Amino acid sequence: MKDRYLKYALLAPALLVCAATLFYPLLQSLIYSTQDWNLGRSPAPEGFAGLANYAALLADPDFLGSAKVTLIFTLPSVLLTIVVAMAMALLLADNGRLQVNARTLLVIPFAMSPALIGISWRFMLNPEFGVADAVVRWFLPGLDAAPILSDPVLAMAALIAVDVWHWAPYFMLTFIGALAALPRDTVDAAQVDGAGKIRIFFEIMLPQLWPVLTIAILLKTIFSLKMLDQVVTMTAGGPGVATDTLPHMIYTTAFRFYDIGYASAMAWLLAIVMMGLAMLYSRFVMGGSK
Amino acid sequence: MTAHVDLSLAAPLTKARRRRGQHGLRNAAIVLITVVWVLPVLWIMATAFKPPSEAAGLALWFAPTLANLFASFDVPYLLGSRLLNSVLVTAGTLAIAIPVSTAAAYAFSRFRFPGGSAAPLVLLATQFLPPVIIVIPLFVVFRNLGMLDTRLALVIANLSFVVPYATWMIKGFFDALPVDMEEAAQIDGASRLMALWSVVVPVAVPGIATAAIFSFVVSWNEFFYALVLTRDHAITLPVALMSARTEQGDAWEIMATMGLFIIAPMLVISRFVQRYFVAGLVSGAVR
Repeated sequence: MKDRYLKYALLAPALLVCAATLFYPLLQSLIYSTQDWNLGRSPAPEGFAGLANYAALLADPDFLGSAKVTLIFTLPSVLLTIVVAMAMALLLADNGRLQVNARTLLVIPFAMSPALIGISWRFMLNPEFGVADAVVRWFLPGLDAAPILSDPVLAMAALIAVDVWHWAPYFMLTFIGALAALPRDTVDAAQVDGAGKIRIFFEIMLPQLWPVLTIAILLKTIFSLKMLDQVVTMTAGGPGVATDTLPHMIYTTAFRFYDIGYASAMAWLLAIVMMGLAMLYSRFVMGGSK
Repeated sequence: MTAHVDLSLAAPLTKARRRRGQHGLRNAAIVLITVVWVLPVLWIMATAFKPPSEAAGLALWFAPTLANLFASFDVPYLLGSRLLNSVLVTAGTLAIAIPVSTAAAYAFSRFRFPGGSAAPLVLLATQFLPPVIIVIPLFVVFRNLGMLDTRLALVIANLSFVVPYATWMIKGFFDALPVDMEEAAQIDGASRLMALWSVVVPVAVPGIATAAIFSFVVSWNEFFYALVLTRDHAITLPVALMSARTEQGDAWEIMATMGLFIIAPMLVISRFVQRYFVAGLVSGAVR
């Protein structure tokens, strides 16, 4: 077989899979987003709606509220994950026995199913017998007796905390890799000059880590914007709509209220934002490898 | 004179003591972090062996029981059937995704395509879109085909994220392999395809293993597609967790028992998870 045919023959199965499971669904949901279609009413689309779904969304207080909830979740979860992961990386960067063992153990929660993480933390935050609830109340004795997950602010805080818990070990490993790749000589020179550890980190290491940090922040923003499993298993968007992030609202709109057209428009609005982030990410990754 | 000697001795001593103090503080912080991350996992695993009356409690000492295990396999939780679904869906996903991705990765690594080097990255970038955007049309298609609540539908849905990731990861390994070996094999009269199979694939096994471990972890843990596409017959373990939340309240000991089965393979392969899963993720994130 000639190379010219071979290369397409090798690629064909993957292209077929991606066409069926990625490109077709993406195109189809874009089409749905311009249609009137409630699956509960009709088994097929009920007519062309043009941009009516999108126009309705931009005037829908529930959608705008959910967008706000998504931001309230995303910003702290990204920031805290990066800060906590960097602190962990600095503590665990050396190859001492304690550090190596700690790193091995810390990966275990990250390999856990996100659904299991969500449901486990719901269990541990139970006000009557939850171990995490008991610990939180020990540190904050003034806390209201009501369950943490039924308080709008505390439920969001818990969701953010669990998300940081989930992702920090992964970014820690990324940062340990980046720290190991830093040239030693500038740090050594600063140490000889008597600079403190904190100054060395902020003035010498941080500027060199900036490319890695940028990519990490972009990635975590994307992961936070699409986070859904823990919302479903931990809070189900509640109490009320306090943790009803966009992915969760799209999910309930599509599969509880069967409003396929409206949900697809919502999904595409979110996707446009994420495509922008994905393009930025690609630029950084391509730029880094060249 | 003596004062001078004292000083010169005292200075390094206090410095060493301060350093030891710093190390103690650092080690304490490391232990604390590890406890915060590992204790919840241990707590859930312990709950699986607590009698139902003590699962809803803070007891550290309890008489371990296997009753939850038997209850989980019984009606209505049917852990056995959920476990089988998880195993079959994950195995099916890997059986298709790994060969398909290996072939595509080789093509991307060794040949030029219109669109240049961006194509695999675009494939990876599709994974940054919210999964719900993919699952709405898939749900409609499977509904029209009568394939809702089947394992095959789940395998197909899982391919949508496993193939792009696996292709990207394996391509990275092919990129790092020198072309010389294949060329030598081809000069010896082997076809390009034979060279791929008998020369390149054996050398690339660590890379393919990385992708396979990663694919295993994400398929095994997959929740959202299974939640949308299954009702009863094809429910996998992560979705089965939700069934422990009943009208009569939450059966936490059942939930924990199911959790144990979800975590178990991760613990068995934890060394590989550490080495391959994370290496794979890091290679995708920061290159």
